[in-house]
Amino acid sequence: MSVVVGPRVIDAGVSLVSALLSPVPVAAGFPSPAQDYFDGRIDLNAHLIKDVTSTYVVRVSGESMEGAGISDGDELIVNRALRPTDGSVVVAVLDGELTIKRLRITAGKVILQSENPRYPDIEVPALSDLTIWGVATRCLHHV
Amino acid sequence: MSKPALMRHMPQIAHVDVNCFYASAERAFNPSLEGKPVIVLSNNDGCAVTRSPEAKALGIGMGDPWFKIAPRAKEWGLIALSSNYELYGDISSRVMELLGRYSAWLEVYSIDEAFLGVKGEPTHLRTLGREIKDAVRAHIGVPVCVGIAPTKTLAKLANKWAKNNPGFAGVCHWESVPTAERQRLMRSLPVIEIWGVATRLTRRLNALGIHSIHDLAAANPVMIRDRFSVVMMRTVLELQGSPCIPMEEERIGKEKLIFSRSFATPITTAAGVRQVMSVYGQQAAARLAKHDQQAKVLTAFAGTSHFNPHDTSYPAVCVPLPMPTADPVLLTRAAHALLPRIVDGIRYARAGIMVTDLRPSGNQSPLSLFENPHEERHIGTLLENVTKRYGRGSIGLGHGGIRQGLNWTMKRDMLSPRYTTHWDELPLAKAG
Repeated sequence: MSVVVGPRVIDAGVSLVSALLSPVPVAAGFPSPAQDYFDGRIDLNAHLIKDVTSTYVVRVSGESMEGAGISDGDELIVNRALRPTDGSVVVAVLDGELTIKRLRITAGKVILQSENPRYPDIEVPALSDLTIWGVATRCLHHV
Repeated sequence: MSKPALMRHMPQIAHVDVNCFYASAERAFNPSLEGKPVIVLSNNDGCAVTRSPEAKALGIGMGDPWFKIAPRAKEWGLIALSSNYELYGDISSRVMELLGRYSAWLEVYSIDEAFLGVKGEPTHLRTLGREIKDAVRAHIGVPVCVGIAPTKTLAKLANKWAKNNPGFAGVCHWESVPTAERQRLMRSLPVIEIWGVATRLTRRLNALGIHSIHDLAAANPVMIRDRFSVVMMRTVLELQGSPCIPMEEERIGKEKLIFSRSFATPITTAAGVRQVMSVYGQQAAARLAKHDQQAKVLTAFAGTSHFNPHDTSYPAVCVPLPMPTADPVLLTRAAHALLPRIVDGIRYARAGIMVTDLRPSGNQSPLSLFENPHEERHIGTLLENVTKRYGRGSIGLGHGGIRQGLNWTMKRDMLSPRYTTHWDELPLAKAG
């Protein structure tokens, strides 16, 4: 039996995985009983990205988030449609740069926290003084 | 409201477009460009095709050649960028996908603007306009303005007004503005400012005493038809509030073709979506064949209703086709890539496909008699893989393989990273 491999699936323009689509049997011999159970290989896009329209991938530069398991060179999946809350790992715009921090919102205080003692936290008067670019949902950590 | 109940629910048109689209797309990934003069150059870095407001303020005109601007760029702190078509194309698709959530009746008019059919009370329409504007800004990262009016021509005018008058905060619902103010605006703007009136026609209009938009709106439509054309008559009627330019559900252009509808009853199974995809695949094939075009990329999407805040789901896939095609079987099969994303039980209110990267199909058919399609396919895949890994221009057939020296390869010396389409060019986020 031979199978025809369907087109490669990519998402949001960024290809994470190749997937095998709907194998089409060519008449030759007894059909495989596994045929009925094949629904395609695991598609990382489907599991890692909830809203492709507003999700971007960014690359991490620096070590200030090591404590959160986010290392230099890792890729972060960032959803811009999510509302940031206390504890979110966010990409914020600081001095014209996309910057990764842990957002802390406590009584009357908004803090952009680093996850590395060697880097200081940044205190902001109010959430409205901040431009939150997006909320990180996953880290593709290189092991 | 003094209007009869029927009138209040007449469908209206929302015109949405991105402010300084190319420059805004660059700023979305490079916030340091915010507040600085930015221009984006045309093909081969020829001339300025997008100017940020700061660049306009420097006196840089639309279409000014780069060689004239370049000598003063440094002193101005001007940032000039080559056209990053990969980035703009992706951001455009995202904006259109998002807009599609607000109306099943979406006409993609160009890379950065669309018309949407909308309905409801004025307060609802104003809220909807603001919601659209805020969502595109927050979820995609680019600023838009919205104009809502009974006709396309008025919606465009309302949008322009919203852009130029900060009082509107980016959203203008035409009928919410007092009549006297609307009249004043139309008196103050020359006819050339209206959508569909070409420069060469303005002189003839002026000769008839028609100078402002208000003059044109007050003209006799029959006289205008006799002296000009049916097209100009439609513009007059549209200015008077009668919709004459219908929404086009799909539009063939050099960029894309969209087929999308909302369902009367939500579809809740992958089998149902499969049927819809098959219909669209064939429609797209027919439409492409009619225009002698082939597509290189297919996007399939579905979505729950914007009005149902629970169980929201917007699955979408983008499938590069193995070769440019208008083959219904290939297109339908590609569209089926969406099916694994469909969750049974979720109420999908709409679905559609979009074919992009369109090209004329005539190019290869005369030779196809002599080709072995499988051979051809393998070479195509090989080339694609090599190009993907080592970059465009690294390999090619015949003349296509020559890397330098040919003057038709596009010059893009000031190209920003292709942030959303190339893994090696992702935007950097600082952890420092």
